[in-house]
Formats: sequence, C-alpha cells, structure tokens
Amino acid sequence: MKQDAFSRCHPAVSFLFFILVMLLGVLIQHPAFVAAGVCAALAYYLLLTGTKGLKLLLFSLPLLIAVAVLNPLMNRTGRTVLFTVFSIPYTLESLIYGTVLSGIFLLMILWCGCYGAVMTSDKFTSLFANLIPALSLLLVMVLRMIPNFMRKGRQITGARMAIGKSVAGDAKYTEKAKNGMLLLGSLTDWALEGSIVTADSMRSRGYGTKKRTSFLQYRFTLRDGILMFMTLFLGAGVVFSMLRGDTAAAFTPLWDVAPLSPFGLGCYLLLLLLPTFLHLKEALTWHILRSGI
Amino acid sequence: MKKTKILTAVSLLLIPLTVIFGRKLPGRSYYITSLLVILEIMIPFFLSFEGRKPEARELVLLAVLSALAIASRVVIPIPNFKATYAMIMLAGIALGAESGFLVGALTALVSNFFFGQGPHTPWQMMAYGAGGCLMGFLFRRGLLPRKRLLLGLFGAAAVILFIGPLLDTSSVFMMLSRLTPETALAIYLAGFPVNCTQAVPTFLVLFFLGKPFLEKLDRVKLRYGMGDMAG
Repeated sequence: MKQDAFSRCHPAVSFLFFILVMLLGVLIQHPAFVAAGVCAALAYYLLLTGTKGLKLLLFSLPLLIAVAVLNPLMNRTGRTVLFTVFSIPYTLESLIYGTVLSGIFLLMILWCGCYGAVMTSDKFTSLFANLIPALSLLLVMVLRMIPNFMRKGRQITGARMAIGKSVAGDAKYTEKAKNGMLLLGSLTDWALEGSIVTADSMRSRGYGTKKRTSFLQYRFTLRDGILMFMTLFLGAGVVFSMLRGDTAAAFTPLWDVAPLSPFGLGCYLLLLLLPTFLHLKEALTWHILRSGI
Repeated sequence: MKKTKILTAVSLLLIPLTVIFGRKLPGRSYYITSLLVILEIMIPFFLSFEGRKPEARELVLLAVLSALAIASRVVIPIPNFKATYAMIMLAGIALGAESGFLVGALTALVSNFFFGQGPHTPWQMMAYGAGGCLMGFLFRRGLLPRKRLLLGLFGAAAVILFIGPLLDTSSVFMMLSRLTPETALAIYLAGFPVNCTQAVPTFLVLFFLGKPFLEKLDRVKLRYGMGDMAG
C-alpha cells in the first residue's frame, strides 16, 4: 500500500494529532472554524483515500442532511419562523444550527476515515505494547485469528457442500440460519481445541516467566519530535484562542457568534493541514530532486 | 496488584467529578464529558486484567471468543444476521462477568479495525462490554438456570433494552443540538426497530447454540484443568 509522509511518522505523533483534532472538532461550534475544519480534513481524506473515499462519503450524505433538516423539529427555540410543520415552528436559527451540527458530524467522519487509514492496527498495538502488554497481546491475537477463522469457515462450508449439505442462495431464512449456526458451532469446536494447543505452546516457550519484549518497528526521530512540537504548539494556540472566547457560538434563540479571529482560525487551519503540508513538501522535494538530474 | 486497586479507585472517583465539572462547561460539551465517563468506566476492567497477569490459557481463550464473535458476522452468510452479541453474551456466561466485558470491548474495538473506526467506537466498546458483563452476572452459577429459552429471552431483552439504547445514546449526544427528554426519546424510538432486528439473531443463536456452546467450553475447561477460571 502506498503511504503518505504522515503515515510514515512515529505512531505517537499520528495518535496525538488525531486525538487533538477530534477533540477540537467536537468542541468548537463556530461556523467559520467548522467550515475550515471540514475543508482541511476533506483535503487530507481525499489525499489518503482518493475516489474510493468519496464514494463512502456519498453514503453518509443522507444522514448528514437528515441531521441538518430535522434539527428544527427537535430544537424549537429559534426566532425567525420560516413555516410551520405539524404545528411546529420551523425556524431559520435552528436550521443553521442543524447545518453546523452536521458539519461537525462530517468532520468526525472524515477524521475517523483518516485515522483508519493512518493508524493501522499494528501501529496501534505497537504504541500500547509497553503500557498494556496483556491487552495489546490479546488484540494482536484476535487480529491474527479472524482471517484464520474465516478461512476455516470457508473450508467447513466446502466440506459440507461436498457431502450435499449446502444451502442454496434462495433458501428460506430458517434454513439458512440453521445452516449458519451449525457452521458456527463446528468452527467453535475447532477454535477451542486450537486455543489450548496455542496456549500450551506459549507456556512451553516461557510466556509469563519474564517481562515480554516487543518488536517495535518505529523509531522516534528528530522529525517526529519537530512534528510533535508543532502539533502541541498549534494546539495550544487554538486552545488559547478558545479560552479567549473566539470560538463562542450560540445559534438559538438568537444568532450570537463571536467575531472572526484570524489568530485562532490560522492556528487551527495550520494544525489541521500539517499532514497535507508534509505530503506536499515531500512531493515538492521529490519533484525538485528529479528535475535536478 | 496494589497499584491496580489504587488506580481503579481513582478512576471511579473521577466519574462524578467529570460529570460535575462537565456541567459547568458551555455548549455541547456533554459529548466529551460522556466520552471521559466511558473511559473511566472501562479503565478499571482493563487495569484489573493487566494487574492479575493473565495466564496464557486465559489469554488465548478470550482471544478465541472475541475472534469468533467477529468472524461469526462473516461466516454466517445471511445479511444482517449478527451473531456477535450472542457470542459475547455466551463468553460472559461461560467465563464470568468481567471476562464478558473484556471480550465485548475487545470485539467492538477489533471489528472496527475492519469496518472502520468512528466517533461511536468508545460507545460500542462500552455497550458490547456491558452486554457481556450483564449476561455473565445474570447467569452466573446459582442465579438463573441455564435453560435455552431463558438464555434466548434474556439475551434478546438485553439487546433491546440495554445494548441498543446504550448505542443510541451516542447518537443522542452527537446529533442533538438541545438535550431534552422529548428529543432524546425521539432518537431512542427511532433506534427501537433496529434493535429489534438485532435481537432476533441473538435470540436464535442463544436458543439453539447456547447450551451446546456452554457445554463445549465447560468440556474444554474440565479437560485441561481450567476449573478455577470460571467466574
């Protein structure tokens, strides 16, 4: 899989970045900040996933529209009544609030999409391997077993088919459910027996006798340090701006949004665009290097 | 062991403090407050697991049960037939409430590595874990008999009344601009049909597969001398 520059950084940097931007994304309701956030997150999301990610976004579009349009039915405190539905006043303020809310929701979907692409399961476990050794070992084992179990499931299906016990695609629900549960039952049998073998094998190799060491693929370099510092620095700028009241926004009953603060918005945008900038910088360097030959 | 207990106590004490402090924050900060509370509920479970230095057999058994719960979604080739809840509940019943919580939380986390992490991940970990914990508590030895009908009915009820609403609560906090009992009720009612469709496979799996599954686990425990593990 092709990886972008930010994905090659130390997992701690990526994890810190995503936790920070998600927290800020949920907390800040100022429309300008939300709009800027969605643009920045969308840029990085498309960079990571390309057109495939766009399709996924289209699926969540109905939900996003529903959040925006249905908000006035739930929150009836606005002043400017547009029209009435079922004797409920449908207000402009509430509609705007709903739109901002769905923007925040979209922001979360985008960041989670980026998180999924960058923080792969191996990075997640390597990050926590020393902090929670037993749990991260558990996590690794589950991740390993799933494809294993699926393969075995297919084998069982194949074996059942060979003795004429397969279920046709257009069979009744009860028939299918019965077949599926039989399959699950025999898979369970096989998996439980295997688990004992694995556990004994682990024990005979000395599991639990000493502190477990772990194989860590990622090294914290100077570049990771600089990135982490920049993330924290810009994050502190945004938080300072929040505490000053730059991001205060109330929509209902009356529109009361703080005036735009270039400092806060600037910090926020720079923070969110860090991974994208990193990618552009590398692409540019590569381009210059190549043209120099 | 002592460190674990102190950390657990601190974590539990933090819950009311978080709620009190969270109320003072402006705007829709209740989403963050709720996330913090979820973390503070889950941390004691994780810490006590780490603290007792689990043996290899327990570790592998928990991993197998969690992996089965996730794989069951793919192995049974019927759309929307989700045996995951039933498998988590059976894990809780067989190994005790605490292990049920661990299997549930782990299942939610890992299945989201495959189906995509989202703002709902902590909520799912909490809800799945609580489901396994509740069933483990209800069906521990001596409380409720492990009859197939009882297993099925309690499992389905747990999905409709407990796990489903817990998951819907994340939508309540995420999508509502103003929290009132009526608006929250609207979200819960919207989630009700979905929860019912989830309850059907849970009932079926617990009814037909529950007893044999528990017997299989008991047999493995007996055969390999893991009797002290049962909760």
